[in-house]
Amino acid sequence: MADSDYSIDGEDASDDEYVGPKAGSSTRAQASSGKRKAQATEIPKPRKLAWETEPSEAVANPVEAAEEIDEEVLEKSVQEREEDRKRKRLRKDTKPFQRGIIRHVVLVLDLSETMLERDMRPNRYITMIRYTQEYVREFFEQNPISQMSVLGMHDGLCIRVSELSGNPAEHIAAIQGLRFPRSLQDLPKEPKGSPSLQNALELARAMLYHTPSHGTREVIIVFGSLISLDPGDIHQTIKACVRDRIRVSIVGMSARLRICQEIVSRTNAGDESEYVIATDQELLRELLLATTTPPVIRSTEDTTTTPAESAAALMMMGFPSRVVEDVPTMCACHGNLTTGGYTCSRCSAKVCSLPVTCPSCQLTLLLSTHLARSYHHLFPLRNWVEVSWERARERGSRECVSCLSTFPEVPPEDVDDEEMQDGERLQSKMDGDAARQRRMDKEDSEEQKASESARYECRACESHFCIDCDMFCHLVLHNCPGCLSMLNPASEVQENGDVVMTG
Amino acid sequence: MNGIDGTDRQVKTDEGPPPSLLAVVLDTNPHAWAHLSSTLPLSSCIAALLIFINAHLASGNGNEVAVIASHSHRAEWLYPTPHTTSPSHRSKLNGSTSSPNGTIKIPENPNKYRPFATVEQSLLQNFSALLSSTKEAHLAATPTTLIGGALSLALSYIAKSVLRHSPVDTGIENPLSALADSESSHTARVPLTSRILIVSVSGDLANQYIPVMNSIFAAQRKRIPIDILKLAGDTVLLQQASDATGGVYMKPEQPEGLLQYLMMGFLPDATARRSLVMPSAGGVDFRAACFCHRKVVDIGFVCSVCLSIFCEPNLPDNLCLTCGSYLSLRAAQTATPALIPRKKKKKKRAGGGDSATPGGSTPAGSSTPMHL
Amino acid sequence: MSASSSQALEYLELLPRQTHTKLYEQPSTVLAIFRCMLPHLAKTIVMAMLYMPTPFAASDLDAWFRPDGKREREKALAVLEQLHIVVPQQDAHRRTSYELYPGFARSLRQALEGSGTHRSFGVPSSTPDPKRVTVAFLDEYARNQWENILFYMVGSTVGLANAGALAQDVNEGTKALLRAGDFVKLAHGRVSITRAGFTFVLQETNAQVWSLLIVYLKHAPQLSMSETDVLSFLFMLGSLELGQDYTTSTLSATQLQMLEDLSAFGIVYRSSKDALTFYPTRLAVTLTSDSGALSSSEPLAKSLVSSNRDGSAQGFIIVETNYRLYAYTSSLLQIAVLSLFTKLTTRFPNLVSGKLTKESITRAVKLGISSAQILSYLTSHAHPQMQKTQPFLPPTVMDQIRLWEYEGERVETTNGFLMKEFSSESEYRDVLSYAESLGVLVWKSDAKRLFFVDRVEQISLYLQKKKNRSG
Repeated sequence: MADSDYSIDGEDASDDEYVGPKAGSSTRAQASSGKRKAQATEIPKPRKLAWETEPSEAVANPVEAAEEIDEEVLEKSVQEREEDRKRKRLRKDTKPFQRGIIRHVVLVLDLSETMLERDMRPNRYITMIRYTQEYVREFFEQNPISQMSVLGMHDGLCIRVSELSGNPAEHIAAIQGLRFPRSLQDLPKEPKGSPSLQNALELARAMLYHTPSHGTREVIIVFGSLISLDPGDIHQTIKACVRDRIRVSIVGMSARLRICQEIVSRTNAGDESEYVIATDQELLRELLLATTTPPVIRSTEDTTTTPAESAAALMMMGFPSRVVEDVPTMCACHGNLTTGGYTCSRCSAKVCSLPVTCPSCQLTLLLSTHLARSYHHLFPLRNWVEVSWERARERGSRECVSCLSTFPEVPPEDVDDEEMQDGERLQSKMDGDAARQRRMDKEDSEEQKASESARYECRACESHFCIDCDMFCHLVLHNCPGCLSMLNPASEVQENGDVVMTG
Repeated sequence: MNGIDGTDRQVKTDEGPPPSLLAVVLDTNPHAWAHLSSTLPLSSCIAALLIFINAHLASGNGNEVAVIASHSHRAEWLYPTPHTTSPSHRSKLNGSTSSPNGTIKIPENPNKYRPFATVEQSLLQNFSALLSSTKEAHLAATPTTLIGGALSLALSYIAKSVLRHSPVDTGIENPLSALADSESSHTARVPLTSRILIVSVSGDLANQYIPVMNSIFAAQRKRIPIDILKLAGDTVLLQQASDATGGVYMKPEQPEGLLQYLMMGFLPDATARRSLVMPSAGGVDFRAACFCHRKVVDIGFVCSVCLSIFCEPNLPDNLCLTCGSYLSLRAAQTATPALIPRKKKKKKRAGGGDSATPGGSTPAGSSTPMHL
Repeated sequence: MSASSSQALEYLELLPRQTHTKLYEQPSTVLAIFRCMLPHLAKTIVMAMLYMPTPFAASDLDAWFRPDGKREREKALAVLEQLHIVVPQQDAHRRTSYELYPGFARSLRQALEGSGTHRSFGVPSSTPDPKRVTVAFLDEYARNQWENILFYMVGSTVGLANAGALAQDVNEGTKALLRAGDFVKLAHGRVSITRAGFTFVLQETNAQVWSLLIVYLKHAPQLSMSETDVLSFLFMLGSLELGQDYTTSTLSATQLQMLEDLSAFGIVYRSSKDALTFYPTRLAVTLTSDSGALSSSEPLAKSLVSSNRDGSAQGFIIVETNYRLYAYTSSLLQIAVLSLFTKLTTRFPNLVSGKLTKESITRAVKLGISSAQILSYLTSHAHPQMQKTQPFLPPTVMDQIRLWEYEGERVETTNGFLMKEFSSESEYRDVLSYAESLGVLVWKSDAKRLFFVDRVEQISLYLQKKKNRSG
């Protein structure tokens, strides 16, 4: 009896725990005997909440902690905090992993009642719709040869918002159509009912069934609810997904759910990092956009599959040339009359835009630029390291190599630094190649912080850059200007994407 | 328009056209210029370029320019002059006229407008320093130029200049945009328009493919047009660059008239280009070249791991040439959809035609109808 | 083009052809005109034609422009023809082609190449000056001189007690000039400011300098100075470098005389009346630069405008949505200007605060200031804190100022020309569409076949051309 009391009153007990030391009722959470004792003394007093008690320790602590924090915070200048924030956005690992470039993604949106919550402005549903449109655009920009389909979990059913295709405009229009339907008979799909994870996974599995094996099969679920209303055993569905090599990642908006954790870890070979929770709008957007990066291919995927079904395959693709005609002719994809387009290399059907699968002979048609867009995922630019004042003095750099903006002056040396410097130099000399590699990897995977000298160094070419060039080169350009400006970058092994194409 | 008093809400501050930044990448590949020296020596090209830069600076008060030389072994800043960095770099220069801290002394000249003189002096001095530091070994090492590096330098400089001009940090999204109701996109105030001009003489740039493609995508994203002036050599890569970013591509037939080409075709900036018809390359060939033979392919076979393109599906050991991974050929051998009735017809013909030509000759005297 | 250069452009356009011809002999003048006075596409056209060996056929020019850029083209060509930079020619087959006026082309080429022996970019002095002055001193000097002039205009109206004392530093020639330019008027022995004077005071400094110089130019013949000399000297000043002293030996007599007046304005500095060298101040070197729209880009503003001018080139005014105003300034001039249209209540050592009330605005309107002037003054001097929102001032305040003004105003006037008595409907339509494409049409009435334009020169040229063609 007492035990069941505990579980029901779980929340209350936690309240009392805060008040605990003063009121002496924390014993309630401990032994049942203690509870009886406490009850005898406690019943007449009304339970006090944490913020009502004045000199309670629980409340006093934050104030002290705040004073400590203030000092640290004040020491860092505004400039440094700004740089810290910028650097955090850089990707943590830039090791060149093998990634799945050809992706087949099913995006599942939660259209249930909980999406009408107003913790995101104006409510979760509208925010999600807006971010999804941005996401689709960004996704096709980063992965031009991939395909996507959008589903929605609405009132226990799973509805098809758009079919599997590589055309971003279609998906954006379909998502818009949820709020503002184009045809007059349809009503806008307002969030209603409860979501069903099993239905969504089953429908996604069916859509991904026929996709070729050399591409990845992914499901990305945006989940805002706390329950899932399933018609059958969801674990069977999860087993089937694992068998079909489908990877699921979930972006949650409420609490962490056990079933979601299970789905993600089972389909990702034990890796739970694909399940993330967005606590506010900005984080939701960031997490969603983070999935545009192609996923890493795991070598220990499935030992039961035969090598013939392995990830790597040689795909036949066509590279059509553009035609401009005098007389309008029909295009094979929409049936419209157009004067220009591309002709399929195999069957000469005319299509309007690329990339596309030829409607008549099913050949993937691409431009070489579409392939080139994904190269920076395969050959990523390694992160640049922060430069300490000693190193800055050593290199004598006064301005950023690529934008010629001046760095802050190096302060004059003191003796202590010199000693440290000697020690460090000896250490680095004794390191072999392997140790250096390990150090680099370790540094790469640590979180990026601001540099004290406002300089950032590329390991390969030893040139110093400023924070803005760092951000620009890593987020947009994916090239190191220093390495590319020299024919043979001195010192260490060249590791950024200057691959020489043989031929 | 404001409904109450019929005026626009914003007080109209004078809006002239925004200032414009021109980044010039000059390809100084010595091998290529040696070939060209009979028709167009490098000195006259630089003279024309200087007048062009002066014209650009004269076209607007806030206009800026940056010049980068893309040499065989280095990509170097010609203007603005970089300060000297570590002693090891500059020790190779012999007796340059620049003072120890890297500033250029500009002689007083009442005939020359001072800002023009500054640019000219820096450019010429830095360029002669670059040329004098080129050695035999550098020339022998490579026949092409480091255009990828020069482009990356130009793009980073432009990105930094744009940041300096706009008071709003374009990196941080406007907090108002988090409001899901505001459907309109918030563009940060960027009063600086920019473009890149590449004066190119080199031929094939195959080993720079990835860096140049990355630069092209970055320029596309930041809406920076890349103009190309091709004096010699032929690359499809640069044509793709100008086409993808919306820039001008010109290959003049009479390189002696370089200055007029520059003035008319490349001088108008983004504001002016809205009202003008700019020359373009016409149809650009976006087809790919295979990695094994470098011939242009219509249908290629792509490795799904490293995205390299091959012209035939039969590779030695079925291993990809660039990444070495084992590639299965199932996807490559998708047969064209076969018409089943034709096969049936073949079987009906007893001891008849050869299987190599399905549906070939009609048998004489056969009365079986043809299915379609 | 900022307000300052559009004033200068208007002045230039009205000059006769010979003056233009003489002006275009100096490369510095040509460069300054090119940089500041021409509309954007006109610059493109000029540059394209600069190195062309043959005239540019009109059909080619048409083909070069997009159909929706036609209006820009017309505007550009009109300005170029007005300034006699481009000369249209007709060949035997009645095909028009355009050619750059040779003098202009030659000078512009010289400017771009840095060739020639004209020495029009200012001859620096070769002998080192024992009494060298610093840039800060020059800025201070310019500021003082200019503020004195402004204070002379504003001070007496506002009724500040020591207006007389400060105004003594303004010399007689300047005072005469201000009177001649209708910026102030003498009434009952007291000097009071006119409406044009208000426009002058509330403008930004660059525009003020140009307004004063244009008045000076207009009266140059009376003072027996040649206009071309004056103009070319002004343009040359615009290309000089701050902090460098230039010799006076290459200047003409007119220009020497000008130096005296200019130093009274604070545009140049001379250590003594007969010094052999002169120093241009910041007011001079920014004559031909576009320091117009300063508020949008602070780094540019910092480089072009010193932080000492007018007490602050950065803004210093904060306007709240409850109509209170705070100005972080201690300059008497600024306070006087503010008191023209606000009710100032408190004054601190570095701050003046007040409120924009209906009485204060209507008082200002009665004196002749328009709400647009007040708003542009407040916007251009808005504190950087205010500059974070677009537009800088709260919209409620802006609307309310306008409404207070409109309460007094019922009628708006535009100066211009009425075209009437057209012989036929087609002629009316033809000239109407031409006026519309130029952008000068203000009002039309199809029923009565009348229309109203604000500039008539191009219309009259067009009509004449038509008459010549048909006649």
